[in-house]
Amino acid sequence: MSKIFIVEDDRAIREELMQLLKNSGYETETLTDFNEPSEKIISAAPDLILLDINLPGINGEMLLKEIRRRIDAPIIMVTSRNSAADEVLSLSYGADDYITKPYDPTILLLRISAVLKRSSKISPNCTYRGLAVDPAKGSLTSEKQEIILTKNEMIIFRFLLDRQGRIVTRDELMTALWDNNEFINDNALTVNISRLRAKLSEAGYEDAIETRKKQGYILK
Amino acid sequence: MKITDFLKDRIFFYISYLFAAGIILLFMNVFHANFQLKIILGIIFLLMIIVNESWEFLRKRSFYNDIKNKLEDLDRKFLISEMTEYPDFAEGKFICDILRETNKSMCENIAVYRRNSAEFREFIEMWVHEIKLPVSSLLLMCHNNRSEISEKILEQLMRIDSCTDTVLYYARSENAEKDYIIKEISLQRAVSDIALKNREILLLHGVSLHTEGLDKNVLTDRKWLGFILGQFISNSIKFFSSEREPEIIISAEKFPDRIVLRYRDNGIGIPQSDIPYIFEKSFTGENGRLGTRSTGMGLYIVKNLCTRLGHKISVTSEKNNFTEFEITFDKNDFYKFE
Repeated sequence: MSKIFIVEDDRAIREELMQLLKNSGYETETLTDFNEPSEKIISAAPDLILLDINLPGINGEMLLKEIRRRIDAPIIMVTSRNSAADEVLSLSYGADDYITKPYDPTILLLRISAVLKRSSKISPNCTYRGLAVDPAKGSLTSEKQEIILTKNEMIIFRFLLDRQGRIVTRDELMTALWDNNEFINDNALTVNISRLRAKLSEAGYEDAIETRKKQGYILK
Repeated sequence: MKITDFLKDRIFFYISYLFAAGIILLFMNVFHANFQLKIILGIIFLLMIIVNESWEFLRKRSFYNDIKNKLEDLDRKFLISEMTEYPDFAEGKFICDILRETNKSMCENIAVYRRNSAEFREFIEMWVHEIKLPVSSLLLMCHNNRSEISEKILEQLMRIDSCTDTVLYYARSENAEKDYIIKEISLQRAVSDIALKNREILLLHGVSLHTEGLDKNVLTDRKWLGFILGQFISNSIKFFSSEREPEIIISAEKFPDRIVLRYRDNGIGIPQSDIPYIFEKSFTGENGRLGTRSTGMGLYIVKNLCTRLGHKISVTSEKNNFTEFEITFDKNDFYKFE
């Protein structure tokens, strides 16, 4: 489980953010007192830091610089200032990504998982019950067989695989697809999922994707 | 300054002079003065007057003509007091001092307004920044507590967000301060970012979104372009036709000297008579009265932002068929700094 450190001075946002991240299977830690923030952040040894740039009495850019200097954990800057200079500054100080408030929670989760994936030293999960996933070829292969997936099916499958055993909402799947420039609609998503399911069950994985009514899908 | 103007101006002096000359002549007759003396005195007085008046006329003319010519050439007329040379006669000095004094006072007055407007803009920016905090927490709350009502609240929250953005970009587009950074950005990324942001509303209205040839980079400001595309999308959603499946096509085409981004929807279109005015402030037109409220500000801001970024924007439309916006990004290596 990845640990995410939240640096956010607005109490309501902080609490909801922690809730959001916990629901998505992350461990969270946060600051309520902004004295010597860098020491507290560093001693928590997080896997990722969500850093609000406008903090009371602290220069967010300086804090970013200091954390960057001392640990490797990726940092996503969060701000509501929305000015061009902010973005350039934070990226040049070494933030890995930059998000403006109000952020879409689903997009935030997508960015977090993308940044974590990029920074993680362990290679991502590339097999599913004996099937090797080859995104470049668009296929799932085992010794006996090969399942060819379309681009959309591959995006869906990999997204589910990364979150195996957890419920994935349709909105999350949609966001992942749109993020890859596949602007499909609701019906197309349903069709894609049933095709993917059919391909998997043909290969002997009948109950691979389970539908949770009104919640989403889960890869078993 | 014409000579007739000058003479007209001096008419009272000439009349009183003639009157004085007449009286002198009368006295001289009474004292039986010599005829030659009368002539000589008359000539001396006349010469004195001619020389004096010509001198007066010439220096006044040179001063006033100088002001007049400079005023005609000046683009900003209020700079005239800085441009005039300080004259050597009392009346001119007086006028010049008045000009300089009024100009100074006007500058101070303008400075007050300029400061007020900058302060107001700062306040607006701060306010937008503040309002985004509760919107953020509400968004998160809706997401964490999904229900039927949360979906509805979410939609209204998106409306609040887009309204505040309009205020922010209006404030930015009206001010001379530089708030943008022109960088090379990918059209694909810009379009998918804005599509992602609007995905819920697009899906809700069953819009199919197609893109074509967006694998190009343009020189622009990412956020401003995002706002522009967001305005197009929100307009499209307001004006889709009930007769067709809603569709949006975003495409780009590369020319040797420019890249053209086209945004096309198959909505109700814009009446030909409204097209010349759609980028004007507060113009709502025929479509604006169709039920969905329009402020007439969106496209005005879009046009302003485009002008400031140096992009050209144009629109073509056919009623009940389509609307297409075209943004032209000039290729200019001057902006590239690596």
